[in-house]
Amino acid sequence: MRLPRIFRTTPFRLTLLFLGLFASAASAFLAYIYVATAGEATRRTEQEITREMRSLVGAYDRAGFDAVNQSVIERAASERSFLYLLMNKDSKRVSGTIEESPVEKFTGQPTWTSFQVTDADLQGHVTRHPARGLQERLSGGEMLFVGADIGEDEAYVEKITRALQGAAALVVILGLAFGALFTRNVTRSMAGLTTVVEAVRNGDLAARARVRGTRDEFDELASGINEMLDRLERSMAGHRHAGDAIAHDLRSPLTRLRARLEAAYLDVEAGKGDPTQALAQALDDTDGVLKTFAAVLAIARLQAAGTAPDPIVFDAGAFAGDMAELYEPLCEDKGLDFAAELGNDLPVRANREFLAQALANILDNAIKYTPSGGAIMLRVRRRSSGEVEFSVTDTGPGVPDADRERVVERFVRLENSRSEPGAGLGLSLVAAVAEAHGGRLELAEGPGKVGEMGPGLRVALVMPRA
Amino acid sequence: MRILIVEDDLQAADAMERGLTEAGHACARAADGEEGLGAARNGEFDVMIVDRMMPKMNGVQLIETLRREGDQTPVLFLSALGEVGDRVAGLQAGGDDYLVKPYAFAELIARVEALSRRRETGSVQTLLKVGELEMDLIGRTVHRQGKEIDLQPREFQLLEFMMRHAGQSVTRTMLLEKVWEYHFDPQTNVIDVHISRLRSKIDKGFDRPMLQTVRGAGYRLDA
Repeated sequence: MRLPRIFRTTPFRLTLLFLGLFASAASAFLAYIYVATAGEATRRTEQEITREMRSLVGAYDRAGFDAVNQSVIERAASERSFLYLLMNKDSKRVSGTIEESPVEKFTGQPTWTSFQVTDADLQGHVTRHPARGLQERLSGGEMLFVGADIGEDEAYVEKITRALQGAAALVVILGLAFGALFTRNVTRSMAGLTTVVEAVRNGDLAARARVRGTRDEFDELASGINEMLDRLERSMAGHRHAGDAIAHDLRSPLTRLRARLEAAYLDVEAGKGDPTQALAQALDDTDGVLKTFAAVLAIARLQAAGTAPDPIVFDAGAFAGDMAELYEPLCEDKGLDFAAELGNDLPVRANREFLAQALANILDNAIKYTPSGGAIMLRVRRRSSGEVEFSVTDTGPGVPDADRERVVERFVRLENSRSEPGAGLGLSLVAAVAEAHGGRLELAEGPGKVGEMGPGLRVALVMPRA
Repeated sequence: MRILIVEDDLQAADAMERGLTEAGHACARAADGEEGLGAARNGEFDVMIVDRMMPKMNGVQLIETLRREGDQTPVLFLSALGEVGDRVAGLQAGGDDYLVKPYAFAELIARVEALSRRRETGSVQTLLKVGELEMDLIGRTVHRQGKEIDLQPREFQLLEFMMRHAGQSVTRTMLLEKVWEYHFDPQTNVIDVHISRLRSKIDKGFDRPMLQTVRGAGYRLDA
């Protein structure tokens, strides 16, 4: 048998649990009240009976049997009286308000008993009340019984009991009602999230949870889910875009490669020409394709991981010095003036290989796009923010303000750079490396226009303080 | 040279075997890690080429086992995984070099040959000699035909690597890895410039060039 849905929800189960705990605590509390109040009423009555008994026994001891008899007769006539029975030595009734002692077996010691008294009012209604009484033997051998109607006490206790029962019922009913309300609320809050999760599972990545602005846990969860979906959607879009871009970027070299191989094959088949040149070119094409692949893979892995693997702390200046040493001859060969300004004591925490790749990409770009006679400056310094900045400034044509954000995107190559080799992944990889280290990539204008040169580009890789 | 190829991709293993055989090497093959372990225990090889990801026993486990048994045969790991940590893990397991798929065949041959030579020159040398070229590793001097050649520190390291692998092709990537200790792929011909500088120092003014460019592969220092 399946339970109705509400019984299977976590909030309802929690409600039942808390209700159970609360009910136990309430029962213990009510039981204490019962014992304290009901017991107290009986005890008070017994005290009063004892006091009355002492007073009568005192009168007997002082003035004898007749005085007591007189007192009993007088007191029995008063408005709110005790129950009295005075018996002689033969246990025969002498005076009092009841006919015979309710004590069945009297041992001679003072004896308490509980009994019933019947009472008839003026209309003749007979009611029976519970009563309590004490019987004692007087020193002369006579017997005195003093009792009291405890009907009012009983009624009081009964009232309390009934009130307690009502309270218990109220606790359970209210608890269940609040539980149901709470459950409904939570379920309703969850329902929105469940709908979103289901929609996403069915492939609708655009589904979003409603944030009600109540700033509670559900809102937090909803905005968390939304943020996660945003990120996922961006990443999926990125992958889709990358897929398209790879297809686009690889199609042309692969087509070229195929054409070259086909031509070489036909030439060889026709017995004319030497295919070596075509094959060498085909190899170069293949290498180009593989390089593009490697770069796309590296970017994808960095973005997927979110952080760079195996970071170590090393000196940025010395690190950049090695890079400068590697690249300086290349600049010289291209007729570029190369300068390096490397700060001391600049620790960075990074994956050395990724950082080297990033800096190499920036330098590669600068060398590629700066015409002969220009200059390239590699600089490492600490910013006032404490961040360590690697910057490469060139005197090439630069990147127009409007395009600076775009050139960082994958496969984006500006029109005037299409003639240069490369897949347009260089700066994307730098950006991915920067991001994976908690840093960023900044593009700005270079030193400005000087004659044929400029305005240049300044590319800065900013790493957080180690 | 006897080479053991441990690779579960049979097509890739076929291509490798064909290429290495054409290059004059004798190849044996194993299709998974366990088979590779048996072959390595029973045969004498100059170099092992081991794929990292294989059924039954992966490449890293295979090499760890062999190294524990005292087998010091040089190992070139092949992997489709290219992450930094993977290479480090491969080298820590006892691999001597690491090549990421897909690779240029010239790169594979160059690395395999570099590994085999490495074992022969295990003892500490203080003098390298390739034809007319002499390198004093302690005095940090280089002479050709008795004439001293002045080299920058990095040029010295570059030439040392070329001399240790004289007669073998070395690729640009190998040079970047072994001489500069960078594991990235430069977009520009940054290594070529360093080689041409070195070449102008050791070959200029002499009747015969020693530092050769090998098309599609890299460079080679001939005696």
